Amino acid sequence: MSAPSVSVSSSGDSWSAHSPRRRLARTGRRVTLYAGLVAGGLAMMIPFLWMVSTSLKARSEVFSSAPFSFPTGLHWENYSNMWFALPGVTFGTFFQNSLFIASMATIGQLITCSMAAYAFAVLEFRGKRILFALILATLIIPFQVVLVPNFVLYRYLPFPWSDSGNWIGTNLPLWVWAFFGGAFGTFLIRQFFLTVPSDLADAARVDGANPWQIFISIYVPLARPALATLAIFQFMWSWNDLLDPLIYLRDLPSYTTTVGLAFFQGQYIGNWPVMMAGALVSLLPMIILFLVAQRYFVRGITISGLKG
Amino acid sequence: MASSSGLTLPGSPAGPEATPAPPVGRTPVAGPVRPRRGPRAGEERWALLFLAPTLIGLAVLSVGPILATLGISLTSWDMLTVPKFVGLDNYTNLLGDDRFLTALRNTFFYTFVSVPLGLGLALALAMTLNQRIRGISWIRTMYFLPLVTSSTAIAIVWLWMYSPTGLINHALAIVGISPLRWVADPTLAMPSIIAMSTWQGLPANVIIFLAGLQGIPTEYYDAVSVDGAGRWARFRFVTVPLLTPSIFFTGILALIGAFQVFDQVYVMANPGKPGSPTITLVYFIYESGFRNFHMGVASAAAWILFLIVAVFTLIYFRTQNRWVHYQ
Repeated sequence: MSAPSVSVSSSGDSWSAHSPRRRLARTGRRVTLYAGLVAGGLAMMIPFLWMVSTSLKARSEVFSSAPFSFPTGLHWENYSNMWFALPGVTFGTFFQNSLFIASMATIGQLITCSMAAYAFAVLEFRGKRILFALILATLIIPFQVVLVPNFVLYRYLPFPWSDSGNWIGTNLPLWVWAFFGGAFGTFLIRQFFLTVPSDLADAARVDGANPWQIFISIYVPLARPALATLAIFQFMWSWNDLLDPLIYLRDLPSYTTTVGLAFFQGQYIGNWPVMMAGALVSLLPMIILFLVAQRYFVRGITISGLKG
Repeated sequence: MASSSGLTLPGSPAGPEATPAPPVGRTPVAGPVRPRRGPRAGEERWALLFLAPTLIGLAVLSVGPILATLGISLTSWDMLTVPKFVGLDNYTNLLGDDRFLTALRNTFFYTFVSVPLGLGLALALAMTLNQRIRGISWIRTMYFLPLVTSSTAIAIVWLWMYSPTGLINHALAIVGISPLRWVADPTLAMPSIIAMSTWQGLPANVIIFLAGLQGIPTEYYDAVSVDGAGRWARFRFVTVPLLTPSIFFTGILALIGAFQVFDQVYVMANPGKPGSPTITLVYFIYESGFRNFHMGVASAAAWILFLIVAVFTLIYFRTQNRWVHYQ
């Protein structure tokens, strides 16, 4: 990738001279800069472009023609082939499953993390520092360490409507945990709550509001940007997760898009156009979400990054 | 209202009706308890209420299971019969198990190549993208797009790029290099996976570095420019030192994440094959626990992973004083 050879510091152009030569040089630099940055961006997007172009090609075309050629005709049938490729289920089922799991996990995290964050940011109680440190410490624990005991736990939790009679084979293990707090979300929302001026809460307290009322009517509405950030991150993580769905989901109609896609890959080895159509469709919701809410993604990473 | 009297005895645990989970009450208190003002009394009960879900989750889904993993790792258990205590056998067997040692070696190789590579590239890219020009946010979007993609879908796309007739071999053919087998080649498989992961991991690191770069006051650059410092000197003596907190933080995230690599390996390299060269620690845990139902072995491997991450995190934090400068 080409890194443009332009001054790297952002220390602001202190070029205030107005001579035409200098202005010309400056325009030239600008053009080089834009060209370099866009070229680099396109290079970064090569896998996406390659995915889109392959997904519209005929299967024979993929192996014979030059890789950078545009498709001869647009083979949209790759998408319908992909959608109906597996017996008994469509890709739409996987979508619904992913959507449900990701939404429930997001709701759970929003509620319980903001509650915990309020306690840590606003309330006074003994052991606060130790407890908060303990919660942060769980951030560095690889979650695979708790995989086996959690599997055992869910195996003993009854669920009469599943084949197994317990939670295995249902999507419950994939989102119920979210209703029991989380380190990242608690930390993120707490950082935001700390910036809320305490005189707002003090005034409400003087008026006789209890902590729950203060939480709901002052803190939650003010924290909307932070909550949006947590929501899109949790949604993304749940949507993209592979290992947990792989462990807990047992039959095709319960698969999420990631497991469905991995399964699909095993079934359709070599059929690249259909595979690329599947990959693209599974990525599309997150890409759209990103284009709409980019600043929340950036903010989430920045907050947790800088205050870590 | 949890507190009707407005009076809370500092030493007493909160009322039983408000204690679904005990850890707060048991936390040792050091030093004298501060006197409480009237309106704030009873806050501990409220805190307990707000923290109840978190405390249950911490006990049942984090702390408890970590200890349980340790217990299970000392047994031989297939989940159907009663676990049999075997002492440290699982651990000693693992250290003599070629497949586990391969997984360990691959995980270390992946981590110690992908983390420095990813951080270095991210720093270069962040400095490139740190421009105050019109449309920069649109340009950044192109670079940030891999951020939101699932490793599963991305691995499938890269599998196709790496395939014998894929994009990368086509590109090599242009410069006269004969096709390589990439993920199917035992020596190239891990580097291929690292290249893909690095590409996918770049945006998050770049975003942190960009925020760090934008937090550097321009006066610092002005100051060294007065002293006649060139571009390299400004980078070396202003940018890098002031960015060390961001580098430190990104490093820890990358380190922990790298030890847990799974999705890419699962999709790309079909590590289920007996002689597969790309098995990683987490794949090993998945395979022994959830394919072969050797829960004791899986738990022992998980604890080894935990210890490795803990040790490296600790060492990394220890080095902090030597190179991280907080403003």
